[in-house]
Amino acid sequence: MKQSPQDKNLEAMLRSGKLAAGGFMGSDLRSSAEVISADAAALNALGYTAVQVAARMQELRDLARPWMGNWVQASAVLRVKSEDYKGFIVCPWPHAGRYEKRITTAERLDTGQSVSWTDLNIHLILEHGFFEGRDAFFRIDPEQFIKVVF
Amino acid sequence: MAELFISVLVISGIAAGLALLLVLSEKTFQNYGPCKIVINDKKELTVEGGKSLLASLKAEKIFLPSACGGRGTCGVCKCKVLDGAGPLLPTETPFLNPQEQKDNIRLSCQVKVKKGLSIEIPAALFDIRLYQARFAEATNLTYDTKRFRFQLVEPATMNFTAGHYVQIACPVYKKGIEEVSRAYSIASDPKDNRFIDLIVRRVPNGICTTWMFDYLKAGDAVELVGPYGEFRLSDTQSPMVFIAGGSGMAPFVSILHQMRNVGSTRKAEYFFGGNGVRDLYLHEQMAEFEKNLSAFKFVPVVCKPSPEDNWQGQTGLVTDAVRKNFTDLSGHEGYLCGSPGMIDASIKVLIGLGMSEKNIYYDKFS
Repeated sequence: MKQSPQDKNLEAMLRSGKLAAGGFMGSDLRSSAEVISADAAALNALGYTAVQVAARMQELRDLARPWMGNWVQASAVLRVKSEDYKGFIVCPWPHAGRYEKRITTAERLDTGQSVSWTDLNIHLILEHGFFEGRDAFFRIDPEQFIKVVF
Repeated sequence: MAELFISVLVISGIAAGLALLLVLSEKTFQNYGPCKIVINDKKELTVEGGKSLLASLKAEKIFLPSACGGRGTCGVCKCKVLDGAGPLLPTETPFLNPQEQKDNIRLSCQVKVKKGLSIEIPAALFDIRLYQARFAEATNLTYDTKRFRFQLVEPATMNFTAGHYVQIACPVYKKGIEEVSRAYSIASDPKDNRFIDLIVRRVPNGICTTWMFDYLKAGDAVELVGPYGEFRLSDTQSPMVFIAGGSGMAPFVSILHQMRNVGSTRKAEYFFGGNGVRDLYLHEQMAEFEKNLSAFKFVPVVCKPSPEDNWQGQTGLVTDAVRKNFTDLSGHEGYLCGSPGMIDASIKVLIGLGMSEKNIYYDKFS
């Protein structure tokens, strides 16, 4: 498919290290549109939507935040913590969007599996359906995420 | 075959001609010549037009704070432009609230100097300088926090007030990374102004902290710009409550050095919170300050100590410890440094204990 100049700029931004070390695409050679489409299909097959995933991320983040980086029980088998780091990060899409550097981690007590996400991940999933490319540092694998937090 | 070759040649020639025309026209039409920048109605600079206001000021050794190196992604390099900037750009509006837009605040990295400009900047920015330094050493403080020491080379000393911060320029250290600047509070003794200490916590996948932790080698040349900031002790003798967590320790180390240097007898209680015992650090230095400052007390607080920690100190959230230790904070001043969440929670607690909001000073990580 032919890319517009805007699409090309976005692809370049997602693959560059301008905003995040290593970029948002990792080693993924697919276009961001292909990554988004594949993750949407995977979610659909699992019976969830990007909105539900983002809402759950937000809910767990908000539960953990008042505990300032300490673990808090979200359920009998799930604990979460949310840690703040210095600075902020902006959305690579060309619009307003600046997010504090905050990493929320959810861990299953029964299986030991865990997933981590940033406030920017929540925005990227909610507004752009983007879970990041393969091997990207903050790539959210839909299947893994659902297995741990739902 | 020959026809195809000639066609390719002709098309390439036309493309090259157009590119040349574009370059020439840019040089001709975008040559704005010398432009005058009037600062605070007092100082006048003449700069070559065509560059951003941020870059033009930097070339004249006036350093507005900026974190993204002028790419319009951080929104830090704000300044008031009274005249000559043209209309607000779409790249600026996300970073400016309606009041700032009304007050002619602009992002200096997005404003291009095309003609005379009249701007207003804080007078303190005239004292900001670029310092060439050498990375001297790093000390591990916790599993993810280090103290980085830099020796100033040119100028060889920096006069700063305890609580100030500097910006460190993170160079291109691997493919795909672009130069960025990051702000860190100074953690050193203002009296020993040949050195600048920074306390830095590693940000997972962070551009600048990855460089500092994994790439920076002793002896490496580093650029620092500063000192910036308004976080500092007041001139009163009111008793104080300090609250910090993580790398928020940094300004308080400098402040305590400063208090010791002047023989301060001002009452200060410092609550430093960690999630576990492994998050606490600088115990010995704090004990030293307690010895040298008659009215200073350090209160480390661990949220959830594990049994093997054998922790005898205060437990719970740092804000719980403050609540437990005081019943009335009216007449006190509060100084806070740490994550936005910790600061917001601390402000609520301090106000709840009677501290006036105007007596609460903070340095938020964001």
